[in-house]
Amino acid sequence: MSENPYQTYDARILEVKDLTSREKLFTLRFLDPEVGEKFEFRPGQFVIVDIRGFGEFPISICSSPTRRGYLQLCIRKAGRMTKFIHKMKEGDIIGIRGPYGNGFPMEEMEGSNLILVAGGLGMAPLRSVLWYAIDSGKYEHIWLLYGTKAYEDILFRDEIIHLLKHGEAMNCSVKLAYEVESPSCIYLERGFSDRVCRGVVTDLFRGEEFDVNKAYALICGPPVMYKFVIRELLDRKLSPGRIYMTLERRMRCGIGKCGHCIVGTSTSIKYVCKDGPVFTYWDALSTRGLI
Amino acid sequence: MRYIKLPSENFEKFFKSLEAWGTVYAPVKKGSIYSFQEVHSPSEIALDYNRTMLPPKKFFFRPKEAILRLKNGRWEEEVEAEPMVLFGLHSCDIHGLKILDKVYLDEPADPYYKSRREKTLIIGISCMPDEYCFCKSLGTHFAMDGFDLFLHELPDGWLVRIGSVRGHEIAWENGELFEEVTDEDLANFKEFEEKRSKAFQKELPQEGLADMLDLAYNSPVWKKYAEICLACGNCNMVCPTCRCYEVCDRWVDAYKAVRERRYDSCFMENHGLVAGGHNFRPTRLDRFRHRYYCKSYFDPSAGYNCVGCGRCDEFCPAKIEHVKVLEEVRGSLK
Repeated sequence: MSENPYQTYDARILEVKDLTSREKLFTLRFLDPEVGEKFEFRPGQFVIVDIRGFGEFPISICSSPTRRGYLQLCIRKAGRMTKFIHKMKEGDIIGIRGPYGNGFPMEEMEGSNLILVAGGLGMAPLRSVLWYAIDSGKYEHIWLLYGTKAYEDILFRDEIIHLLKHGEAMNCSVKLAYEVESPSCIYLERGFSDRVCRGVVTDLFRGEEFDVNKAYALICGPPVMYKFVIRELLDRKLSPGRIYMTLERRMRCGIGKCGHCIVGTSTSIKYVCKDGPVFTYWDALSTRGLI
Repeated sequence: MRYIKLPSENFEKFFKSLEAWGTVYAPVKKGSIYSFQEVHSPSEIALDYNRTMLPPKKFFFRPKEAILRLKNGRWEEEVEAEPMVLFGLHSCDIHGLKILDKVYLDEPADPYYKSRREKTLIIGISCMPDEYCFCKSLGTHFAMDGFDLFLHELPDGWLVRIGSVRGHEIAWENGELFEEVTDEDLANFKEFEEKRSKAFQKELPQEGLADMLDLAYNSPVWKKYAEICLACGNCNMVCPTCRCYEVCDRWVDAYKAVRERRYDSCFMENHGLVAGGHNFRPTRLDRFRHRYYCKSYFDPSAGYNCVGCGRCDEFCPAKIEHVKVLEEVRGSLK
């Protein structure tokens, strides 16, 4: 590999799939098989995507490391760069560098229950955890609590519906909250009345008994979501050290140089890109501005 | 540490010998301000300068530079570095470089910074504080490492501290220019340092500073100063330890593009902006406070992110004083 950490590696877009009207799923493979072989990552890590001559942006990996040979990124059309990549097609080449960040401590959590709490686009990094946990079979039970705006906004809708139907066989319970009513949602709610409801993601905690002694919570969602979800978890006596969240900041370099992702005050400063993006609630208590 | 003496009459020859190591840059007076410029003779150097506007960081982390060049669809790297001699750095600036080293040489190292740093000789020079200096409170008024040679002014020359193998080599190769240090020189050195120590007009008390500031997060003092602040980012540009950068691709012609980085400022509104429009530091108050917290962060292995050089005060168009802000914030806790 190059010694220059800003150099990126060619990757071919194998497939582009529309997930919603705003999000597309890009499946990539490194052109150089050696680079692909060496590229190892943990759920929760991110990469920097490089569109040559147009710029770079950070994006979390949404495929699981258990599924080798390709890399998947769920990209929302939100700005100039992502608008550009949304126009790209199968066969096009982009650059990738990474993986960056700490990722979730998957080994530490083995044998425990996992409570995945996703809000909106937060589903993307947690999908990596979800399939890692299901594929490895090393976790007792997996809950996925997913809050979404509307039926049309459900990311990985096929997978979510598949897990609603057949998840229990894989030790996985999926629960879904939506905010905007639609015929499709009502249909879903009718089919899975105990697991789909109208409301916000915290509503999905209602009536759910988690064995907190054996559980870890993993959260990803919009900034406003964290406080409310954490309150639910703390009410259930989950230790702050078992609450993991993954955060978003304006990361430019990914390696703790450019300074954009610095959070904290005079007593504690953290770089979201290299100290995170995964933090525990203890970190949030000792570093102001994290959530 | 090895100590030798450079008599005044040998200064010019010593200066000339440095040119063998690379292009020599030293503080030069331009109008009313000083700046590090290429020099060819000791007469060009402002030996008694107070501070340059841009700190020496500009030699290692450039205000604007290409990090990658796109040719035929591939990024090409140019990690070129010319050998340089930075002559006349004050102790605070040497400490500033050490703080930048912590960031840019930390793995994975920034190859551009690293290569320039490795090819540069650092020669420090003693100074007298002016009304803006508060380095003494931060312990950065004396450099114990981070230089190749450090020159301390004596009545008839310079007491030279040798801080590296390269420093030894310079002294070795120019042995005839140096003398042994006498008791009188030591007495003069001691007297100078004592006089200097007493000359500081500004002080930033350290006791519990980081905690006090953190506790005063909601202090109205932040708001008061955020309203005075013009959010121009001058303090970031002139700070020897500020090193945020922004990256942008630019097309040179239809076939060539460059990936450039340039100094960024945490006072700019888009510093904390993420895709989709959410801003983690939406107000000027948030950004003002952020800079002060970033500068006042204490790293047990490297100290504060501020070296007390006084540039942010001298070059602030709103005349905001760093020490005064921190003192007032801390005082507002009572």
